[in-house]
Amino acid sequence: MSTVEIKRPAALSELGQATLRRLMREWFEFERRLATVPIVRRLDLGTFTRSDYQGLLLNLRPQVVEGSRWISRCASSFDRDHADIRSVVLRHAHDEHRDYEILEADFVATGGSLEVIQSQPKNPGSDALHAFLMFRAGEPNPVGLVGAMWIIEGLGEKMAANWASRVEQLTGFDGRCTRFLRYHSDSDDSHMDKLYGLIDRICTHERIADDVVRTAAVVGRLYALQLEEIEVGH
Amino acid sequence: MSVYLTSTGAFLPGPPISNTEIEDVLGLVEGKPSRLKARILKSNGIQTRHYAIDRAHRTTHSNAAMAVAAAKKCLDDSPVPAKSIGMLSCATTQGDMVVPGFGSMVQAGLAIPAVELLTTHGICTSSVMAIKAAANSLRLGEHHSALVVVSELASRLLKSTRYEAAGGLAAMDFNSEFLRWMLSDGAGAWLLESAPRGQCLRIDWIRSFSHADAFPVCMGIGAPTDTNDSRTWQDYPTYAQAEAAGALLIRQDVRLLEQMVKLGVDGALRLIEDGVLAVKEIEHFLCHYSSHHFRGKIADLLEMAGASIPQDKWFTNLYTRGNTGAASILIMLDEFLRDGRAAAGDRILCMVPESGRFNTAYLHLTVVEARE
Repeated sequence: MSTVEIKRPAALSELGQATLRRLMREWFEFERRLATVPIVRRLDLGTFTRSDYQGLLLNLRPQVVEGSRWISRCASSFDRDHADIRSVVLRHAHDEHRDYEILEADFVATGGSLEVIQSQPKNPGSDALHAFLMFRAGEPNPVGLVGAMWIIEGLGEKMAANWASRVEQLTGFDGRCTRFLRYHSDSDDSHMDKLYGLIDRICTHERIADDVVRTAAVVGRLYALQLEEIEVGH
Repeated sequence: MSVYLTSTGAFLPGPPISNTEIEDVLGLVEGKPSRLKARILKSNGIQTRHYAIDRAHRTTHSNAAMAVAAAKKCLDDSPVPAKSIGMLSCATTQGDMVVPGFGSMVQAGLAIPAVELLTTHGICTSSVMAIKAAANSLRLGEHHSALVVVSELASRLLKSTRYEAAGGLAAMDFNSEFLRWMLSDGAGAWLLESAPRGQCLRIDWIRSFSHADAFPVCMGIGAPTDTNDSRTWQDYPTYAQAEAAGALLIRQDVRLLEQMVKLGVDGALRLIEDGVLAVKEIEHFLCHYSSHHFRGKIADLLEMAGASIPQDKWFTNLYTRGNTGAASILIMLDEFLRDGRAAAGDRILCMVPESGRFNTAYLHLTVVEARE
């Protein structure tokens, strides 16, 4: 099993299909919740400002810095029977472990100071999200975290496809300020194929499927909380 | 108790209008051809549509007159006499009169005496609200028959003079022009009865999910061009001032439209989860959204999730009859049935998405034969 590489299956099992449907529902729930977060609502209504954007970057950075840590820890928690999953997660950790440098450069390009963004503490939502992910990543064979990847990668794509040009349009900031938002627009297909492969690989039991969906729900809620908290600290 | 759809009718005003003729009817804003028209038409795929206004912008059929014409066609094909109709359930986005309700005008035109009347308010899904209320009234045993009539006369909103009065080309953008190349006129009617008659459709269930709690307005009339102005049309000292501010233009927030497709899928997944929808059993899928909106990633996801409906089961007449808003689903089913596409036992799923503030509605029908 462990030598097989995870790739897109021809079709998912019935449980895999049902899990994918539940994950789609969790994603739509997450988008519903996001749409009510004040800073996202302003993006939709067209009242989003330059200072909103700086606030967004300031509040995203701490979690992005920590993001590489939970993914690395997650990889190390998979045993030899899950080495194929570990490979996927390791590659993911490598791809993303210095994302925060792009984010910092974007903040500086908007006229912000590097010192300010580097000293920005986590907001309560980021704290909760990070704590949850680190806790789950430390458990043996944390397959439920596929649900976390589903939400976090989905949001990366949404930022690239839906937020980046809108931010530029409303703030007048150019592409040098939105590289982090756009960062996840590449290789959509391979991301999706990998996700289908992971779902196929791990959804062997109802209990595991429930864990994946539940983890997606929690991560979606905590991610939205992180964005809600921007108002408070800003 | 089951409810049956026993007759349908549709009315489309005037001749079909091709893409090159649209501006001959709706007019050129400030005398200039639109620069966005070709792009928007390419994306919606509509080839012909009908308008209830002529080239001089005179209204050829009122909204109520179209509704009455569709209702008469529906009743002409049924032995049920108009005077025995128990409930008249009507919908439109905008009646000819601001008040009273559209249903009153339709009732007058049909001369149905002492009927129970309903007019629903909204955009595309107002039709489904009218259908569901009518079906429920039969289920309760309050009536034996209910006539649902839905009509749209959008072209009056799309005349060049409307845009000129709201600041002309300088004030127009993609969002204010989008629906000018999308919407057109027409009416449809369905007769519901508490017993089957010949080959007819049993209404299995009607469900809808509204998301106005989470999302802002995506399509509407009443808010001015300036997004920082929170007034709506009646807040202005005069209607002329409201019009000048763009508050009477019909607008679509095109950026938010993508959410409509996702929420359409979300509703279907909810119905699957609830056990009421079995996608594999659907023989015909009628949706007034063009199928190309469901291509790409979302189509791939649905396919992998075992929740997609194959293209050969989709039926639409959007491309030839136009997008007639709330009336679309009634006009579509009418043509579908008249084409003889339904066979006994077939299950039909109709989906009506309303982008207004995001409402999605679904109807599940089964073709049945009445026992003689």
